[in-house]
Amino acid sequence: MLMSLNVIGLRTVAAFSARKLLMNRRWMLVMLLGALVALVMGYAATEDGANLDFASDLMVILLLAFLLPVLSLIYGASMIRNEMDDRSIVQVITAPLDRRISYLGYYIGLVMVLCLLITVVTSIGGLAFLIFSPERAGGAQLIITFIALQYLGVLVYSALFLFLGTLMRQPIYLGLIYIFIWEGFIASVPGSIGKLTIRHQLEVVASELTDLGSVAWTSGDWVVSVLALVAVTVVLVSIGAFVFRQEEVA
Amino acid sequence: MSNVAEARLLSKWYGQVIGLNNFSIEVPKGITGIVGPNGAGKSTFFKLLTGNIKTNVGHLRVLGEEPWQNPSLLAKIGFCPDYDFLPPDLNGREYLRFVAGLHGMDSVRTATRVNDVLGIVSMVKDADRVMGGYSKGMRQRIKIAGALLHEPQLLLLDEPLTGTDPLIRKEMIDLVKDLNKVHGHDVIVSSHVLHEIERMTHQVALIYKGRSVASGDISEIRRLMSDHPHNIVLEGRGLVPLAQTLLTKPYTSSIELRPDRLGMYVRVDRPEEFFDSLPELVAGTGCELERVESLDDDLESVFRYLVG
Repeated sequence: MLMSLNVIGLRTVAAFSARKLLMNRRWMLVMLLGALVALVMGYAATEDGANLDFASDLMVILLLAFLLPVLSLIYGASMIRNEMDDRSIVQVITAPLDRRISYLGYYIGLVMVLCLLITVVTSIGGLAFLIFSPERAGGAQLIITFIALQYLGVLVYSALFLFLGTLMRQPIYLGLIYIFIWEGFIASVPGSIGKLTIRHQLEVVASELTDLGSVAWTSGDWVVSVLALVAVTVVLVSIGAFVFRQEEVA
Repeated sequence: MSNVAEARLLSKWYGQVIGLNNFSIEVPKGITGIVGPNGAGKSTFFKLLTGNIKTNVGHLRVLGEEPWQNPSLLAKIGFCPDYDFLPPDLNGREYLRFVAGLHGMDSVRTATRVNDVLGIVSMVKDADRVMGGYSKGMRQRIKIAGALLHEPQLLLLDEPLTGTDPLIRKEMIDLVKDLNKVHGHDVIVSSHVLHEIERMTHQVALIYKGRSVASGDISEIRRLMSDHPHNIVLEGRGLVPLAQTLLTKPYTSSIELRPDRLGMYVRVDRPEEFFDSLPELVAGTGCELERVESLDDDLESVFRYLVG
């Protein structure tokens, strides 16, 4: 009985929260960002010497370093927080479902939506490059590689920003500081501190998956990176679920 | 278990703001009305009953259990909040399926129960319309349907009549009564209007400034209302002789005549006696009354009186 409640409840929260995210007007912002990526990649493909190494470098900057964390922040930080603010969360928290299960449902819904958006935007950007680029062989594989890589990133960033949104009333500011200061600036600092970023760990994994672009030369053990990213995800989701369970919703 | 909810010396505060203050109440089976002005603490009480918030001090049991961090208790409670939270892009039937999923109901039971509750709240016809286009009354009905879906023992209805027109209000009152009499749910329903609650139940608790000021049968509350001092405004012509006569009456505390002599404020200790004797006094003094109105015939004044 309890198992049935948890399974059906988890599925319900995930499905309805994903639907809510997709119905939100933020999709216009996503379209804009997708168009920006397509425009930049399409334009870059027309330049002299544009090849798949160049495409790979572009994808690291546009997708791994920018679009992936920003989309995760926009959707993740507001997911539970918005429902608390407009009080629509009442339906979930007055159901006989353990709040930790509900939180997991929100997380799964968020991951599903972000994976969908990342797939669409990366495909559009990659295809825009390939359409205008003289070199196309291996292009489809590069697009798939970056989609898969971002799925891994979605798991971690979603866990991080969903947690921030559950913990704080104004999570966007801290999220932006994290993305642009920690992930953007600290990641470029020489030495081991730069390795303490999600982006670096994703680049280590990327170096195993592709030989294209400067990312292929990133040093590190990709297994350790995957394990580290998964461990951080599990810890963040667990802490977030605990915080959500303890939180009073007035 | 004779009571569906019991609170003893319960306090809840939000920072510097007190929501409930040494609040004690025993809610028996049946329908119980929680009455109090806006900000009295009614919604705080409901949030405590559903475990959305936890008590700072005191003891609270709902259906014999502690509500905070007790999700299994919520299988026995249906909650309909006073605010609007319905997703506007879903239709009524989709919303109820969502609620059913949150309660772990399988698809067969969901289909049956959705049709059942839509029938109970008279929303079968509009169930496939998106809720963004619903009227206030329809939204209240579908919220109640959502609270009923899992067949809870206890229903918590926070201000279900707010914002509804008189016709819908009557239908809602009848619905609440049926939920208890026909469908067997115990109901705790709140309102800031006593006579609305009076039409649903005789079992009433009054809340004011976070405290339970009175509870019991409605007739007791009515007696308190009629016993407490009233300020009454009288308007008309020839009021001076009436004022002089009223001053000789034992129930009159004070009289303040307006400078234009066309109105006066009378404070009386026993309003029933005043109103009983007024026609005779008017006839005896020959004044022509155009308006008689009690300024204190409302709950707020009763609450102020009760808490001193």
